[in-house]
Amino acid sequence: MAIPIPVEINHIREKGLVRITWEDGHVGEYPKDYLRGYCPCAACQGHGGGIKFVSVSNAQLAEISAVGNYAIEFCWQDGHNTGIYTFEYLRSLCPCPDCKQSDGPAEK
Amino acid sequence: MGTIGKDVVLEALKKVQDPEIHRDIVSLGMVKNLEIEDGKVVFTVELITPACPLKEKIQDDCRKVLAGIEGIKDLEISFGAQVRGSKSGAGQTDLLPTVKNVVLVAAGKGGVGKSTVAVDLATALKMHGAATGLLDADIFGPSVPILMGVKEEPKKIAVNGGFKLVPPIAHNLPVMSIGFFLEPDQAVIWRGPMLGKALQQLMADVQWGDLDYLVVDMPPGTGDVQITFSQQLKVSGAVLVATPQDVALADVVRAKSMFDKVMIPIVGIIENMSYFICDGCGKRHEIFSSGGAERAADRFKMPFLGQVPIISLIREWGDKGVSILVQDRKSEGSKVFLEIAAKLAGQLSVVSESSRRAQALKIIST
Repeated sequence: MAIPIPVEINHIREKGLVRITWEDGHVGEYPKDYLRGYCPCAACQGHGGGIKFVSVSNAQLAEISAVGNYAIEFCWQDGHNTGIYTFEYLRSLCPCPDCKQSDGPAEK
Repeated sequence: MGTIGKDVVLEALKKVQDPEIHRDIVSLGMVKNLEIEDGKVVFTVELITPACPLKEKIQDDCRKVLAGIEGIKDLEISFGAQVRGSKSGAGQTDLLPTVKNVVLVAAGKGGVGKSTVAVDLATALKMHGAATGLLDADIFGPSVPILMGVKEEPKKIAVNGGFKLVPPIAHNLPVMSIGFFLEPDQAVIWRGPMLGKALQQLMADVQWGDLDYLVVDMPPGTGDVQITFSQQLKVSGAVLVATPQDVALADVVRAKSMFDKVMIPIVGIIENMSYFICDGCGKRHEIFSSGGAERAADRFKMPFLGQVPIISLIREWGDKGVSILVQDRKSEGSKVFLEIAAKLAGQLSVVSESSRRAQALKIIST
Protein backbone atom coordinates (compact mmCIF):
# COMPACT_ATOMS: atom_id res chain seq x y z
CA MET A 1 0.00 0.00 0.00
CA ALA A 2 1.36 3.32 -1.06
CA ILE A 3 0.17 5.77 1.54
CA PRO A 4 -0.38 4.66 5.14
CA ILE A 5 -3.69 5.55 6.76
CA PRO A 6 -4.06 6.71 10.34
CA VAL A 7 -6.28 4.53 12.50
CA GLU A 8 -6.43 6.75 15.57
CA ILE A 9 -5.87 10.43 16.15
CA ASN A 10 -5.84 11.32 19.81
CA HIS A 11 -5.71 14.92 20.99
CA ILE A 12 -4.11 14.66 24.41
CA ARG A 13 -4.96 18.06 25.82
CA GLU A 14 -2.99 18.00 29.03
CA LYS A 15 0.24 17.15 27.21
CA GLY A 16 -0.52 19.59 24.41
CA LEU A 17 0.07 17.02 21.70
CA VAL A 18 -1.67 14.88 19.11
CA ARG A 19 -0.84 11.20 19.06
CA ILE A 20 -1.35 9.52 15.68
CA THR A 21 -1.44 5.76 15.37
CA TRP A 22 -0.99 4.44 11.82
CA GLU A 23 -2.32 1.24 10.32
CA ASP A 24 1.22 -0.11 9.99
CA GLY A 25 1.57 0.17 13.75
CA HIS A 26 3.72 3.31 13.75
CA VAL A 27 2.90 5.85 16.48
CA GLY A 28 3.95 9.49 16.39
CA GLU A 29 3.41 12.28 18.93
CA TYR A 30 3.06 15.73 17.40
CA PRO A 31 3.33 18.76 19.74
CA LYS A 32 0.58 21.24 18.86
CA ASP A 33 2.99 24.12 18.18
CA TYR A 34 4.89 21.88 15.79
CA LEU A 35 1.67 20.95 13.95
CA ARG A 36 0.56 24.56 13.71
CA GLY A 37 3.99 25.74 12.55
CA TYR A 38 3.91 23.27 9.68
CA CYS A 39 0.38 24.21 8.61
CA PRO A 40 0.38 23.51 4.85
CA CYS A 41 -2.17 26.16 3.85
CA ALA A 42 -1.28 28.85 1.35
CA ALA A 43 -1.70 31.62 3.91
CA CYS A 44 1.05 30.07 6.05
CA GLN A 45 3.29 28.69 3.33
CA GLY A 46 2.79 31.11 0.47
CA HIS A 47 3.38 29.89 -3.06
CA GLY A 48 7.16 29.86 -3.04
CA GLY A 49 7.50 26.08 -2.89
CA GLY A 50 9.19 24.22 -0.09
CA ILE A 51 7.81 23.86 3.40
CA LYS A 52 8.85 26.24 6.14
CA PHE A 53 8.10 26.41 9.83
CA VAL A 54 5.93 29.39 10.73
CA SER A 55 6.00 29.88 14.47
CA VAL A 56 2.73 30.81 16.19
CA SER A 57 3.06 31.28 19.90
CA ASN A 58 0.69 29.44 22.20
CA ALA A 59 -1.51 27.93 19.49
CA GLN A 60 -4.50 26.12 20.94
CA LEU A 61 -6.05 23.25 19.07
CA ALA A 62 -9.84 23.42 19.03
CA GLU A 63 -11.04 20.63 16.80
CA ILE A 64 -9.81 17.84 14.54
CA SER A 65 -11.88 16.49 11.67
CA ALA A 66 -11.39 14.22 8.69
CA VAL A 67 -11.49 15.56 5.15
CA GLY A 68 -12.80 13.13 2.54
CA ASN A 69 -10.75 9.96 2.25
CA TYR A 70 -7.35 11.50 2.41
CA ALA A 71 -6.69 14.27 4.89
CA ILE A 72 -7.17 15.82 8.33
CA GLU A 73 -8.20 19.37 9.16
CA PHE A 74 -7.05 21.03 12.36
CA CYS A 75 -9.12 23.97 13.63
CA TRP A 76 -7.29 26.32 15.97
CA GLN A 77 -8.80 28.53 18.62
CA ASP A 78 -7.65 31.70 16.86
CA GLY A 79 -10.00 30.69 14.03
CA HIS A 80 -7.31 29.40 11.68
CA ASN A 81 -8.73 26.37 9.90
CA THR A 82 -7.45 26.43 6.34
CA GLY A 83 -4.75 23.79 6.73
CA ILE A 84 -5.64 20.47 5.15
CA TYR A 85 -3.01 17.93 6.14
CA THR A 86 -2.99 14.96 3.77
CA PHE A 87 -2.16 11.61 5.37
CA GLU A 88 1.03 11.54 3.34
CA TYR A 89 2.08 14.98 4.56
CA LEU A 90 1.20 14.15 8.18
CA ARG A 91 3.25 11.00 8.06
CA SER A 92 6.20 12.87 6.60
CA LEU A 93 5.95 15.35 9.50
CA CYS A 94 6.22 12.61 12.12
CA PRO A 95 8.64 13.97 14.74
CA CYS A 96 9.68 10.63 16.26
CA PRO A 97 13.45 9.94 16.24
CA ASP A 98 13.17 7.16 13.64
CA CYS A 99 11.36 9.37 11.15
CA LYS A 100 13.44 12.46 11.85
CA GLN A 101 16.55 10.69 10.61
CA SER A 102 15.02 10.38 7.18
CA ASP A 103 13.82 13.21 4.99
CA GLY A 104 11.92 16.23 6.21
CA PRO A 105 8.31 17.08 5.29
CA ALA A 106 7.12 15.99 1.90
CA GLU A 107 5.39 18.37 -0.45
CA LYS A 108 2.13 19.59 0.99
CA MET B 1 -28.85 -42.23 8.45
CA GLY B 2 -28.68 -39.32 10.87
CA THR B 3 -29.82 -35.84 10.10
CA ILE B 4 -27.43 -33.48 8.41
CA GLY B 5 -26.14 -30.74 10.67
CA LYS B 6 -26.17 -27.11 9.62
CA ASP B 7 -22.53 -26.91 10.63
CA VAL B 8 -21.65 -29.61 8.09
CA VAL B 9 -23.37 -27.69 5.31
CA LEU B 10 -21.80 -24.38 6.32
CA GLU B 11 -18.38 -25.97 6.55
CA ALA B 12 -18.75 -27.24 2.97
CA LEU B 13 -20.02 -23.88 1.74
CA LYS B 14 -16.89 -22.24 3.10
CA LYS B 15 -15.17 -23.68 0.03
CA VAL B 16 -17.29 -21.45 -2.19
CA GLN B 17 -15.70 -18.10 -2.85
CA ASP B 18 -17.32 -14.91 -3.96
CA PRO B 19 -15.65 -14.60 -7.35
CA GLU B 20 -15.09 -10.91 -6.93
CA ILE B 21 -14.13 -10.40 -3.31
CA HIS B 22 -12.18 -13.69 -3.18
CA ARG B 23 -13.41 -14.63 0.24
CA ASP B 24 -15.74 -17.44 1.12
CA ILE B 25 -19.45 -16.79 1.14
CA VAL B 26 -19.95 -18.05 4.68
CA SER B 27 -17.54 -15.68 6.39
CA LEU B 28 -18.87 -12.85 4.22
CA GLY B 29 -22.27 -13.55 5.76
CA MET B 30 -23.90 -14.20 2.41
CA VAL B 31 -25.56 -17.51 3.38
CA LYS B 32 -28.96 -16.83 4.94
CA ASN B 33 -32.03 -18.76 6.08
CA LEU B 34 -30.39 -22.17 6.05
CA GLU B 35 -32.99 -24.88 6.74
CA ILE B 36 -32.51 -28.62 6.62
CA GLU B 37 -35.44 -31.02 6.76
CA ASP B 38 -35.60 -34.68 5.75
CA GLY B 39 -32.48 -34.38 3.65
CA LYS B 40 -33.72 -31.27 1.92
CA VAL B 41 -31.34 -28.32 2.18
CA VAL B 42 -32.73 -24.85 1.57
CA PHE B 43 -30.84 -21.57 1.79
CA THR B 44 -30.54 -18.10 0.30
CA VAL B 45 -27.36 -16.58 -1.02
CA GLU B 46 -27.52 -12.88 -0.37
CA LEU B 47 -25.53 -11.30 -3.18
CA ILE B 48 -23.79 -8.03 -2.53
CA THR B 49 -25.36 -6.47 -5.58
CA PRO B 50 -28.43 -7.35 -7.63
CA ALA B 51 -26.27 -6.60 -10.65
CA CYS B 52 -23.98 -9.51 -9.73
CA PRO B 53 -22.58 -10.90 -12.97
CA LEU B 54 -21.55 -14.23 -11.44
CA LYS B 55 -24.72 -15.57 -9.87
CA GLU B 56 -24.60 -18.78 -11.89
CA LYS B 57 -21.02 -19.44 -10.95
CA ILE B 58 -21.83 -19.14 -7.26
CA GLN B 59 -24.83 -21.43 -7.66
CA ASP B 60 -22.78 -24.07 -9.51
CA ASP B 61 -20.03 -23.93 -6.92
CA CYS B 62 -22.52 -24.38 -4.08
CA ARG B 63 -24.01 -27.41 -5.78
CA LYS B 64 -20.59 -28.91 -6.36
CA VAL B 65 -19.37 -28.64 -2.76
CA LEU B 66 -22.65 -29.92 -1.36
CA ALA B 67 -22.72 -32.88 -3.72
CA GLY B 68 -20.02 -34.41 -1.54
CA ILE B 69 -22.23 -34.55 1.56
CA GLU B 70 -24.06 -37.79 2.09
CA GLY B 71 -27.75 -37.66 2.79
CA ILE B 72 -28.69 -34.52 0.89
CA LYS B 73 -31.62 -35.54 -1.24
CA ASP B 74 -32.73 -32.19 -2.45
CA LEU B 75 -31.22 -28.75 -2.70
CA GLU B 76 -32.91 -25.44 -3.13
CA ILE B 77 -30.80 -22.28 -3.51
CA SER B 78 -32.46 -18.94 -3.89
CA PHE B 79 -30.85 -15.56 -4.38
CA GLY B 80 -31.40 -12.24 -2.71
CA ALA B 81 -29.35 -9.08 -2.78
CA GLN B 82 -28.27 -6.61 -0.19
CA VAL B 83 -26.00 -3.92 -1.55
CA ARG B 84 -23.24 -3.10 0.88
CA GLY B 85 -22.01 0.39 1.48
CA SER B 86 -18.52 1.21 0.31
CA LYS B 87 -18.16 4.74 1.48
CA SER B 88 -14.95 5.65 3.15
CA GLY B 89 -13.89 8.93 4.68
CA ALA B 90 -14.16 8.30 8.36
CA GLY B 91 -14.66 10.76 11.16
CA GLN B 92 -16.68 13.26 9.20
CA THR B 93 -20.38 13.87 8.94
CA ASP B 94 -21.94 11.83 6.19
CA LEU B 95 -23.96 14.26 4.09
CA LEU B 96 -25.78 11.37 2.42
CA PRO B 97 -26.51 8.82 5.16
CA THR B 98 -29.24 7.08 3.14
CA VAL B 99 -26.99 6.45 0.14
CA LYS B 100 -24.84 3.33 0.27
CA ASN B 101 -22.47 3.98 -2.62
CA VAL B 102 -21.48 7.26 -4.25
CA VAL B 103 -19.87 6.77 -7.68
CA LEU B 104 -18.32 9.65 -9.60
CA VAL B 105 -18.32 9.41 -13.40
CA ALA B 106 -15.35 11.53 -14.39
CA ALA B 107 -12.88 12.30 -17.14
CA GLY B 108 -9.84 14.48 -17.50
CA LYS B 109 -11.44 16.40 -20.33
CA GLY B 110 -14.76 17.19 -21.95
CA GLY B 111 -16.47 15.62 -24.92
CA VAL B 112 -15.83 11.98 -24.12
CA GLY B 113 -19.48 11.20 -23.43
CA LYS B 114 -19.42 11.29 -19.65
CA SER B 115 -23.01 12.41 -19.29
CA THR B 116 -24.36 9.78 -21.67
CA VAL B 117 -22.34 7.12 -19.88
CA ALA B 118 -23.53 8.36 -16.48
CA VAL B 119 -27.19 8.34 -17.55
CA ASP B 120 -26.99 4.90 -19.17
CA LEU B 121 -25.00 3.41 -16.29
CA ALA B 122 -27.52 4.68 -13.75
CA THR B 123 -30.36 3.31 -15.87
CA ALA B 124 -28.61 -0.05 -16.22
CA LEU B 125 -27.98 -0.32 -12.45
CA LYS B 126 -31.66 0.42 -11.92
CA MET B 127 -32.64 -2.28 -14.42
CA HIS B 128 -30.47 -4.76 -12.56
CA GLY B 129 -32.73 -4.07 -9.60
CA ALA B 130 -30.64 -1.66 -7.53
CA ALA B 131 -32.12 1.52 -6.07
CA THR B 132 -30.25 4.16 -8.05
CA GLY B 133 -30.18 7.94 -8.29
CA LEU B 134 -28.48 10.33 -10.68
CA LEU B 135 -26.82 13.62 -9.71
CA ASP B 136 -25.68 15.99 -12.41
CA ALA B 137 -22.76 17.90 -10.91
CA ASP B 138 -21.67 19.38 -14.22
CA ILE B 139 -22.68 22.84 -13.12
CA PHE B 140 -21.27 24.62 -16.15
CA GLY B 141 -22.86 22.39 -18.76
CA PRO B 142 -25.63 20.36 -17.18
CA SER B 143 -26.86 17.90 -19.80
CA VAL B 144 -28.78 15.44 -17.66
CA PRO B 145 -32.07 17.40 -17.93
CA ILE B 146 -31.95 16.91 -21.71
CA LEU B 147 -30.72 13.32 -21.62
CA MET B 148 -33.37 12.31 -19.09
CA GLY B 149 -36.09 14.46 -20.63
CA VAL B 150 -36.96 16.19 -17.39
CA LYS B 151 -37.20 19.91 -16.87
CA GLU B 152 -39.07 20.85 -13.76
CA GLU B 153 -37.99 22.74 -10.73
CA PRO B 154 -37.75 20.28 -7.82
CA LYS B 155 -40.29 20.69 -5.03
CA LYS B 156 -39.09 21.96 -1.69
CA ILE B 157 -40.26 20.33 1.50
CA ALA B 158 -39.71 21.50 5.05
CA VAL B 159 -37.44 19.24 7.09
CA ASN B 160 -36.28 20.01 10.63
CA GLY B 161 -36.51 23.76 10.31
CA GLY B 162 -34.71 23.82 6.97
CA PHE B 163 -35.80 22.53 3.62
CA LYS B 164 -34.91 19.68 1.30
CA LEU B 165 -35.25 19.35 -2.44
CA VAL B 166 -37.26 16.43 -3.76
CA PRO B 167 -35.65 15.07 -6.92
CA PRO B 168 -38.03 14.63 -9.86
CA ILE B 169 -38.35 11.05 -11.12
CA ALA B 170 -37.47 10.39 -14.75
CA HIS B 171 -37.73 6.85 -16.17
CA ASN B 172 -37.86 5.52 -12.59
CA LEU B 173 -34.68 7.34 -11.52
CA PRO B 174 -34.60 10.20 -9.04
CA VAL B 175 -32.61 12.93 -10.77
CA MET B 176 -31.07 16.18 -9.58
CA SER B 177 -29.32 18.79 -11.67
CA ILE B 178 -28.36 22.43 -11.38
CA GLY B 179 -30.00 22.70 -14.79
CA PHE B 180 -33.43 22.46 -13.13
CA PHE B 181 -32.89 25.87 -11.57
CA LEU B 182 -31.74 27.71 -14.67
CA GLU B 183 -33.58 29.32 -17.51
CA PRO B 184 -33.00 27.44 -20.77
CA ASP B 185 -29.87 28.64 -22.58
CA GLN B 186 -28.75 30.62 -19.58
CA ALA B 187 -25.07 30.27 -18.81
CA VAL B 188 -23.71 29.73 -15.34
CA ILE B 189 -21.15 32.44 -14.73
CA TRP B 190 -19.93 31.92 -11.23
CA ARG B 191 -16.86 32.45 -9.17
CA GLY B 192 -15.63 29.98 -6.60
CA PRO B 193 -17.73 30.92 -3.56
CA MET B 194 -21.05 30.82 -5.42
CA LEU B 195 -20.05 27.58 -7.01
CA GLY B 196 -19.26 26.13 -3.62
CA LYS B 197 -22.65 27.14 -2.29
CA ALA B 198 -24.56 25.63 -5.20
CA LEU B 199 -22.61 22.39 -4.89
CA GLN B 200 -23.22 22.29 -1.17
CA GLN B 201 -26.97 22.37 -1.88
CA LEU B 202 -26.75 19.67 -4.50
CA MET B 203 -24.76 17.49 -2.13
CA ALA B 204 -26.48 18.07 1.17
CA ASP B 205 -30.03 19.26 0.56
CA VAL B 206 -31.49 16.60 -1.71
CA GLN B 207 -33.97 14.11 -0.31
CA TRP B 208 -32.73 11.01 -2.14
CA GLY B 209 -34.33 8.42 0.10
CA ASP B 210 -32.65 5.02 0.41
CA LEU B 211 -30.31 4.40 -2.50
CA ASP B 212 -27.90 1.59 -3.30
CA TYR B 213 -26.04 3.71 -5.83
CA LEU B 214 -25.84 7.43 -6.50
CA VAL B 215 -24.22 8.02 -9.88
CA VAL B 216 -22.68 11.48 -10.17
CA ASP B 217 -22.01 13.07 -13.56
CA MET B 218 -18.93 15.20 -12.88
CA PRO B 219 -17.78 18.22 -14.86
CA PRO B 220 -14.67 17.60 -16.94
CA GLY B 221 -11.22 18.20 -15.60
CA THR B 222 -9.54 18.36 -12.24
CA GLY B 223 -10.81 21.52 -10.60
CA ASP B 224 -12.92 23.06 -7.86
CA VAL B 225 -15.89 20.71 -8.17
CA GLN B 226 -13.73 17.61 -7.95
CA ILE B 227 -11.96 18.92 -4.86
CA THR B 228 -15.22 19.86 -3.18
CA PHE B 229 -16.70 16.40 -3.79
CA SER B 230 -13.61 14.63 -2.54
CA GLN B 231 -13.55 16.71 0.64
CA GLN B 232 -17.23 16.83 1.50
CA LEU B 233 -18.68 13.51 0.45
CA LYS B 234 -17.88 9.97 1.35
CA VAL B 235 -17.14 8.80 -2.16
CA SER B 236 -16.96 5.07 -2.91
CA GLY B 237 -15.05 5.35 -6.13
CA ALA B 238 -14.64 6.99 -9.49
CA VAL B 239 -15.28 5.65 -12.98
CA LEU B 240 -13.13 7.20 -15.69
CA VAL B 241 -14.52 7.64 -19.18
CA ALA B 242 -12.07 7.92 -22.06
CA THR B 243 -12.00 7.84 -25.81
CA PRO B 244 -9.43 5.47 -27.30
CA GLN B 245 -6.83 7.75 -28.86
CA ASP B 246 -3.52 8.51 -27.16
CA VAL B 247 -4.09 12.23 -26.68
CA ALA B 248 -7.28 11.51 -24.74
CA LEU B 249 -5.50 8.99 -22.56
CA ALA B 250 -3.11 11.64 -21.32
CA ASP B 251 -6.14 13.17 -19.63
CA VAL B 252 -7.07 9.84 -18.09
CA VAL B 253 -3.68 9.77 -16.44
CA ARG B 254 -4.23 13.27 -15.07
CA ALA B 255 -7.64 12.34 -13.70
CA LYS B 256 -6.21 9.22 -12.11
CA SER B 257 -3.42 11.13 -10.44
CA MET B 258 -5.95 13.57 -8.98
CA PHE B 259 -8.10 10.77 -7.53
CA ASP B 260 -4.97 9.10 -6.17
CA LYS B 261 -4.10 12.29 -4.31
CA VAL B 262 -7.47 12.45 -2.60
CA MET B 263 -7.48 8.68 -2.13
CA ILE B 264 -10.65 7.95 -4.04
CA PRO B 265 -10.29 4.50 -5.61
CA ILE B 266 -10.74 4.17 -9.38
CA VAL B 267 -13.36 1.46 -9.72
CA GLY B 268 -13.00 1.23 -13.46
CA ILE B 269 -12.35 2.79 -16.81
CA ILE B 270 -14.77 2.76 -19.73
CA GLU B 271 -13.72 3.27 -23.32
CA ASN B 272 -16.38 5.27 -25.11
CA MET B 273 -16.70 5.68 -28.90
CA SER B 274 -14.54 2.58 -29.27
CA TYR B 275 -15.61 1.57 -32.74
CA PHE B 276 -18.37 1.95 -35.27
CA ILE B 277 -20.08 -0.87 -37.12
CA CYS B 278 -21.17 0.52 -40.47
CA ASP B 279 -24.84 -0.14 -41.08
CA GLY B 280 -24.17 -0.23 -44.81
CA CYS B 281 -21.17 -2.54 -45.13
CA GLY B 282 -21.06 -4.15 -41.69
CA LYS B 283 -17.38 -3.36 -41.36
CA ARG B 284 -15.94 -2.34 -38.01
CA HIS B 285 -14.29 1.09 -38.17
CA GLU B 286 -12.02 2.17 -35.35
CA ILE B 287 -12.41 5.87 -35.86
CA PHE B 288 -10.42 7.03 -32.84
CA SER B 289 -8.27 3.90 -32.80
CA SER B 290 -9.27 1.25 -30.28
CA GLY B 291 -8.16 -0.49 -27.12
CA GLY B 292 -6.18 2.46 -25.76
CA ALA B 293 -8.23 2.68 -22.58
CA GLU B 294 -7.72 -1.02 -21.94
CA ARG B 295 -3.98 -0.60 -22.30
CA ALA B 296 -4.06 2.35 -19.88
CA ALA B 297 -6.11 0.23 -17.46
CA ASP B 298 -3.46 -2.47 -17.65
CA ARG B 299 -0.61 -0.07 -17.18
CA PHE B 300 -2.09 1.68 -14.15
CA LYS B 301 -3.79 -1.41 -12.70
CA MET B 302 -7.31 -0.06 -13.04
CA PRO B 303 -10.22 -2.41 -13.73
CA PHE B 304 -11.34 -2.17 -17.35
CA LEU B 305 -15.13 -2.15 -17.51
CA GLY B 306 -15.74 -2.32 -21.25
CA GLN B 307 -15.99 -0.66 -24.65
CA VAL B 308 -18.99 1.34 -25.75
CA PRO B 309 -19.25 1.47 -29.54
CA ILE B 310 -20.47 4.46 -31.51
CA ILE B 311 -24.12 3.65 -32.05
CA SER B 312 -26.21 6.45 -33.44
CA LEU B 313 -29.25 5.18 -31.51
CA ILE B 314 -27.52 5.91 -28.18
CA ARG B 315 -27.14 9.53 -29.27
CA GLU B 316 -30.54 9.80 -30.95
CA TRP B 317 -32.51 8.55 -27.96
CA GLY B 318 -30.35 10.56 -25.58
CA ASP B 319 -31.28 13.73 -27.44
CA LYS B 320 -34.93 12.77 -27.09
CA GLY B 321 -34.51 12.42 -23.35
CA VAL B 322 -34.79 8.64 -23.23
CA SER B 323 -31.92 6.31 -22.42
CA ILE B 324 -31.40 3.62 -25.04
CA LEU B 325 -31.95 1.09 -22.27
CA VAL B 326 -35.44 2.40 -21.63
CA GLN B 327 -36.19 2.58 -25.34
CA ASP B 328 -34.95 -0.88 -26.28
CA ARG B 329 -33.49 -3.03 -23.57
CA LYS B 330 -32.49 -5.74 -26.04
CA SER B 331 -30.49 -3.47 -28.33
CA GLU B 332 -26.74 -3.82 -28.79
CA GLY B 333 -26.02 -0.58 -26.93
CA SER B 334 -28.24 -1.58 -23.99
CA LYS B 335 -26.45 -4.92 -23.65
CA VAL B 336 -23.11 -3.14 -23.47
CA PHE B 337 -24.28 -0.86 -20.66
CA LEU B 338 -25.95 -3.67 -18.70
CA GLU B 339 -22.67 -5.60 -18.79
CA ILE B 340 -20.59 -2.61 -17.77
CA ALA B 341 -22.98 -1.79 -14.92
CA ALA B 342 -22.72 -5.36 -13.62
CA LYS B 343 -18.93 -5.18 -13.67
CA LEU B 344 -19.02 -1.81 -11.94
CA ALA B 345 -21.28 -3.17 -9.20
CA GLY B 346 -18.84 -6.02 -8.72
CA GLN B 347 -15.91 -3.65 -8.41
CA LEU B 348 -17.80 -1.53 -5.89
CA SER B 349 -18.41 -4.56 -3.72
CA VAL B 350 -14.68 -5.27 -3.78
CA VAL B 351 -14.04 -1.69 -2.69
CA SER B 352 -16.65 -2.00 0.04
CA GLU B 353 -14.64 -4.80 1.62
CA SER B 354 -11.38 -2.86 1.57
CA SER B 355 -12.89 0.46 2.64
CA ARG B 356 -13.75 -0.96 6.03
CA ARG B 357 -10.08 -0.36 6.72
CA ALA B 358 -10.35 3.39 6.17
CA GLN B 359 -13.64 3.49 8.08
CA ALA B 360 -11.81 2.56 11.22
CA LEU B 361 -10.17 5.97 11.83
CA LYS B 362 -11.03 7.23 15.30
CA ILE B 363 -10.60 10.87 16.21
CA ILE B 364 -10.68 11.34 19.96
CA SER B 365 -9.74 13.86 22.55
CA THR B 366 -8.47 12.85 25.96
